[in-house]
Amino acid sequence: MSLVRGYIFSRPFMGERVPQHVQNIVIRDYCERNNLQYLLSATEYAMQNCHLVLKQVIGELSNIDGLVAYSLFQLPEQALERELIYKELIKQNKVLHFALESMKTVTRQEFEHIETLWQIRLTMEHCYEPNHE
Amino acid sequence: MYLTEEEKALSSEYLEKGFVIRTVADSDALNWMQKQFIKIISDSLGKPFKGPPIDILNFIHRDVPAEKLNAFRLSVIREINSLKNFRQMYFRVAKPFLETLVGNELSMQRRINLSIQLPNDDSSLLATHADTWSGDSPYEVVVWLPMVDCYSSKAMYLLPPLDYPELADNFVIQAGNSSEDLYQSIKNKVNWLAVKYGEVLIFDQSLPHGNRVNKESETRWSLNCRFKGVFTPYGDKKIGEFFEPITLRAASQKGMIYKLPKAS
Repeated sequence: MSLVRGYIFSRPFMGERVPQHVQNIVIRDYCERNNLQYLLSATEYAMQNCHLVLKQVIGELSNIDGLVAYSLFQLPEQALERELIYKELIKQNKVLHFALESMKTVTRQEFEHIETLWQIRLTMEHCYEPNHE
Repeated sequence: MYLTEEEKALSSEYLEKGFVIRTVADSDALNWMQKQFIKIISDSLGKPFKGPPIDILNFIHRDVPAEKLNAFRLSVIREINSLKNFRQMYFRVAKPFLETLVGNELSMQRRINLSIQLPNDDSSLLATHADTWSGDSPYEVVVWLPMVDCYSSKAMYLLPPLDYPELADNFVIQAGNSSEDLYQSIKNKVNWLAVKYGEVLIFDQSLPHGNRVNKESETRWSLNCRFKGVFTPYGDKKIGEFFEPITLRAASQKGMIYKLPKAS
């Protein structure tokens, strides 16, 4: 059974806020469904644009198989910072899971797919949204 | 400020040191909680314990090995939080101090936490952190209640308020690689807070704090719970899901539902 560390947020991300215990429930459920042994989640600092905890966790993956983030949209908003994370995980051959989206990434191709989803999401912020009121 | 001399002294001490330690305000409530602990532990381990409660708690490592500690701890947390009066008793041990430091309309964390640290066990450590860094409001205080005497490495540490600005300014450098790096950068500045059974600690959770391996021969048992003013800003820990009001006053109850007369 693969051993994975959870990763949750303590601040809103991409305009969304999810209570920490709910993030943990979703991660635990994902781990159960995917036969992963879940280690207690690391909680990202509340400061805007801060990913220090994510970087610390990636630096401490040597004895485990990967990381399960609550959502792929908890990755840094800057593309360059995301790219550094993908590179480091590929180099270490560790798996990055996203519980909410039920996705796992380990190859360059899979990380590129994540990047496409990011680009769409960022573009949507500039797109027309009908008012349903 | 129309505070009494006693209130001023408590407030100044809290602001200067980041914490206060006082004899509990209600020893009956504390002893009731300790009694519940012994009952829950006996039920959980299927073994009647005899002797002074403080000894039973101090030497629980003779009955609970480190690999079973977390499951044991979680089961005790479940049980204490299922007791109808436990939170009220908890509040009573710190009530006058909270009313001075926080206010008399209070929100209380819905779930009281328990920390158990067996001697020489590194599996349940709390790395250096401030609760505000992970979403708690700076308006919160922590009421920390030991069930045994806590001293030396059996205690927790706290960075004094005067040393915090330097850390805040250099946060990325000091916390950049690991929480251990962060501890190493402040270890010569922190205060180790010795708190005896019968005393209560109230501390500022926005100051970095944590614990290290308990090198004493006894097990540490401590409870912690957060309090804040009902109408002060909430962080990521919201009213309802994490906090609930415990002392809402009449004027607020009235004010919240007040409507001006219809004028048109």
